[in-house]
Amino acid sequence: MSPFRRTPSRLRSALRNLFTRSRVERELDADVRAYADLLADEKVRAGMDRSAARRAALVELGGIERIKDEVREVRSGALLETTARDVRYAVRTLARRPGFTVVAVIALALGIGATSAIFSVVSGVLLRPLPYRDPDQLVVILHEGRNPVAPANYLDWKRQSSLFSSFGAAEYWSGTVTGDAPERVQGLKVTSDVLAMTGVSPLVGRLFRADDDMPTGNRPLILSWGYWQRRFAGNRDVLGTSLVVDGSPYTVVGVMPRGFDFPMFWATGVQMWTPLALGARASSRQSQSLRLFARLERGATVRAAQSQMTTIAANLEKAFPGTNPAVTVTPLDTMVVGDVRPALLVLLGAVGFVLLIACANVAHMLLARASARQREMTVRLALGASRTRLLRQLLTESVVLALAGGSLGIALARLGLRTLVALAGTSLPRADAIGLDLGVLGFTTVLSLLTGLAFGLLPALRVSRSEMSEALRDGSRGSTEGARRSRVRSVLVASEIALALVLLAGAGLAMRSFAALRAIDPGFAPRGVLSAVVTLYGTAEAAPGRREAFYTSMLERVRQLPGVESASLINHLPIAGDIWGLQFLVEGRPRPQPAEMPRSTFRVVYPGYFTAMRLPILRGRDVAETDRVGARRVVVVNDFFARRSWPNEDAVGKRVTFNPTAESPTWFTVIGVVKNDVQSDWSAPPQEEVFLPYLQEREYLESGGGHVGYMTLVVRAACAGASRCNPGSLAPALRDAVGSLDRSVPVTDIQTMDEVITGANARPRFTVVLLATFAVVALVLAEVGIYGVVSYAVSRRTHEIGVRVALGASPSAVVRLVIAQGMRVVGVGVAIGLVGALVASRLMTQLVYGVRVTDPTTYAAVAGMLAAVALVASYIPARRATRIDPLVAMRAD
Amino acid sequence: MADRQTNLLQGTLDLLILKSLALGELHGLGVARRVEQITRGTFQVKPGSLFPALYRMEEAGWLSSSWGASENNRRAKYYKLTAAGRRQLDAETSEWKRIAVAIAFALQAT
Repeated sequence: MSPFRRTPSRLRSALRNLFTRSRVERELDADVRAYADLLADEKVRAGMDRSAARRAALVELGGIERIKDEVREVRSGALLETTARDVRYAVRTLARRPGFTVVAVIALALGIGATSAIFSVVSGVLLRPLPYRDPDQLVVILHEGRNPVAPANYLDWKRQSSLFSSFGAAEYWSGTVTGDAPERVQGLKVTSDVLAMTGVSPLVGRLFRADDDMPTGNRPLILSWGYWQRRFAGNRDVLGTSLVVDGSPYTVVGVMPRGFDFPMFWATGVQMWTPLALGARASSRQSQSLRLFARLERGATVRAAQSQMTTIAANLEKAFPGTNPAVTVTPLDTMVVGDVRPALLVLLGAVGFVLLIACANVAHMLLARASARQREMTVRLALGASRTRLLRQLLTESVVLALAGGSLGIALARLGLRTLVALAGTSLPRADAIGLDLGVLGFTTVLSLLTGLAFGLLPALRVSRSEMSEALRDGSRGSTEGARRSRVRSVLVASEIALALVLLAGAGLAMRSFAALRAIDPGFAPRGVLSAVVTLYGTAEAAPGRREAFYTSMLERVRQLPGVESASLINHLPIAGDIWGLQFLVEGRPRPQPAEMPRSTFRVVYPGYFTAMRLPILRGRDVAETDRVGARRVVVVNDFFARRSWPNEDAVGKRVTFNPTAESPTWFTVIGVVKNDVQSDWSAPPQEEVFLPYLQEREYLESGGGHVGYMTLVVRAACAGASRCNPGSLAPALRDAVGSLDRSVPVTDIQTMDEVITGANARPRFTVVLLATFAVVALVLAEVGIYGVVSYAVSRRTHEIGVRVALGASPSAVVRLVIAQGMRVVGVGVAIGLVGALVASRLMTQLVYGVRVTDPTTYAAVAGMLAAVALVASYIPARRATRIDPLVAMRAD
Repeated sequence: MADRQTNLLQGTLDLLILKSLALGELHGLGVARRVEQITRGTFQVKPGSLFPALYRMEEAGWLSSSWGASENNRRAKYYKLTAAGRRQLDAETSEWKRIAVAIAFALQAT
């Protein structure tokens, strides 16, 4: 008969009790009633009349419902069943007070949703291991934590080190793939160890082998999944296909799986890999272009590897002075997420505060309700309900509330997460690993349960512990509420305010810091400038002698386009482009040790670059058409360079060399000094920078490979007004202008200077927007909290205020009285919050620019703001208190 | 303290209910009256203890129940011992005897 036949008796009963509950209940009811009837029959037989017998039987029974309850308690599955009953009861209770429920659920949803969203970012970016085999063994080896390494150093280090199981090098590469539509494709040149050490297998074909490291005519190529899809529509027959990159044939030997990205902190979005065949470059200690990756031997530590590498580099430095600055061995994980970690942890802390505030808010809403429900509880206690039963039921109610908030929170988190990732842009590594996965859902569920217990426990304990006499005394009369209970609520609100203040202070610091970043003068005027990379390398235009002609006629055409004010070329755009450095020596100065030789960033420009960028020329002149090969070598330096090299002198006319170690150095005459501009890091202090004329650079004009085979076009749009300026609309015209000269020349990386700057500030913007959002939510929640507490106090003190009014208290005295009570709590909260904010501010140190984390103005401002908001929140109920009619108030008593 | 008392009572109550059903099936009131009768009025089982005990023992598989008509034609639920219930009765009976003897010895000791 039953599907439970084989199960043990108790389990069977439990299942039956749960699944056929209504039938079981009916049976129990009939059973108990039959007992009553039989008992009555007995009494009739003993001579009682029927109605008296019935009454007596019921009295003897002691209440049909009570008996049924006792049976329910012993039945199997009782716990589950009472819980189900409590949940139903909770839902009904909550539905009866929709106002309260909606406010509480929204507050909780904001807290839980925001926490879940930030947690999923933290989980995707920080907690999940990198998607490689044993990722904690992977390290990055560089000079001074960030600078690339020369080939000869790489080979020596690899030979001499003993703590790595593999040790490879990678070099940035971007090539023009020619064919029907020429395109620039980002690539990486890697030694055969690099892809192998990730432990990721190719989707199709093979990885590189050791014999690929030798330069030969046959160049293998491995494609990314995305490029394979785009160019070959995911065709598996791609192996063996030939691709022409920068004019040379490559053979496809493999395709990496979808989502493969290595090493994530640099050269992201790589679409093809080819072996790094060093060839003749292997002996160079000068051209520092390699980033090194290694896998630690099992059992070897980063620290041991670091000290070994330091020794090796120190010995090489003795043999080849000036070639081996400090070597750093850094875990790959640190390189990828190291600098985003503090920001994410601060955000997680901040959002946790929002959740705590929401909890405190709901807790004192529940407390207020608890007083209102005192009677209900007292009656139930008097009718014999146990305190544990009441406690359990009240907690069920708050957990139901929290779970409802959690479900809504998940929906909010889904929405928020999309905005969040878009807002973070490229500033967030591993953005593709972020999502609402099972881990996050589990986190949210547990969080909701804990939240429910956290805010529900205090009110529930309070109610279930309440003394009957106290309840009757306190609950029925509109007197001043019990001092103890009022204190608990004040503590809750004070903590809310303290937490909100800490958040506000953090957001305030982030905003001031962001404002300071915004106020940085980049030197040039970014608004109205469009940039695009134009690559000749790999096309017919790259032939020696044709490059200048192409660029010059291209500029002519671009300058004639409608809407273009000026245009010019630079090799590496500030902020977005590479930073190349040169050693230099000022004429007439003693030559320092090779290791101490000063270095300067250098860029290569066409005439008119400073005009197009509006980078002011402070003294002297721009490079000109006449500064070409054969003429006197000239250079434009930035103000910092001029002041550092020739303090209190005019730099123009002075000479400097960029090959100071040569027998007969080439001297460059300074023809101009320009304002300092932002070179790479937006907020970095100025450094030496020089600009060399393209027309004098033989490497750019004639020799040289891919690394000098492109220039960045900068175009200033003619803007009617500063506000209406859309240089981006010039992009199609630019493409056409270049295409009309040579269809095979690719135009890539088209972006406005504003976009470049926005991208550079994406992370601080991300931090400030999130912190500000959290702070606003916290402020609103705190305001609701204060309002709730003060209006509750007013409603409890109606009688007292009525008496005061009757005795002649003026409305303003009543307002003062009520506000004073509210503001006392606010004052305590603000004081505690200020201390907390000062303690927490230390975490912000790494996140702020241009403002001290203890900035008194910020603290004063946020404290004042919070106090003002609190004043408003308590003024509304205070106003209401003045309208209390003494007659009504005293009659209500 | 209160708990221990209940447990002691519960053990006794189970034994008495099992014993009262040993001769045949009874409805709830019948069980109560039978217990009263066989203990010569020493134990009066209140419905508040009887019903939970009956349901608990049924779930344990010692009792089975069916609906039937009473002597004056009321529908009532009749309980009877299952095989497991008989085994339980035997086990509890001998256990009780063992304890009774032991306690008797203990009380006679000087």
